[in-house]
Amino acid sequence: MNSANVIEIEEPETVETTSGCEVRMPAGLLGFEQIKNFLLIANPAEAPFRWLQVKDNPSLAFVVIEPFFFMPDYSPDIPQQDVNFLGLSSPDDAAVFNIVTVHNSKGATVNLKGPVVINRNTGVGKQVVIANAAQYSVQHPLPVNEAA
Amino acid sequence: MLILSRKTGESIVIDGRIHVKVVRVEGEAVKIGIEAPSEVPVHRREVYEEIQRSNQQALTRQNTALPKLPSPKPVKPARKGSKVP
Repeated sequence: MNSANVIEIEEPETVETTSGCEVRMPAGLLGFEQIKNFLLIANPAEAPFRWLQVKDNPSLAFVVIEPFFFMPDYSPDIPQQDVNFLGLSSPDDAAVFNIVTVHNSKGATVNLKGPVVINRNTGVGKQVVIANAAQYSVQHPLPVNEAA
Repeated sequence: MLILSRKTGESIVIDGRIHVKVVRVEGEAVKIGIEAPSEVPVHRREVYEEIQRSNQQALTRQNTALPKLPSPKPVKPARKGSKVP
């Protein structure tokens, strides 16, 4: 199985691979600034959810999801400082993921104020506090199936 | 907490590499300018704490059972939705 393989982002390659790709977050996550290295892992059986796994402690991970699955008009306003930091030259360079809090097998919420934005070409990411954070919730409910 | 008094236009240096400047005072609101290396994240405190709490709640283990979403059909817009000014 491929799940143990790590694909290094050397050439321009989209973040959407079927196993794991490295994501480097120089500023960590808010509250977890010391954790800089992650693997973004996709298990097809769990799509559209993916895992942002802590590389040095693989038992720890964050569930993430691309917001467009449930909110096609999500428009995070990424501050210019962060655009520069990530080296984004166009919106297509950016892969946007939101962190999911799983409350139980039937309920989950997603943080829309602080998406994880990753430069697809370099694998460098940052948890960005969007300029229009007031417009969105940090605990937006995910529409889940009742009969899981 | 170190408490310093600054007038408009005056600055503070932290760790020799982070500069905080009082740009303007408008009534009760103080406009603050921050120069810091790009890997030093700077946030308004209340938003930082809200997201920090959310991250802490979200941290989990990879054997966590995930809920099922109703048919995950990706509705990808023409742009990825990130506004790059």
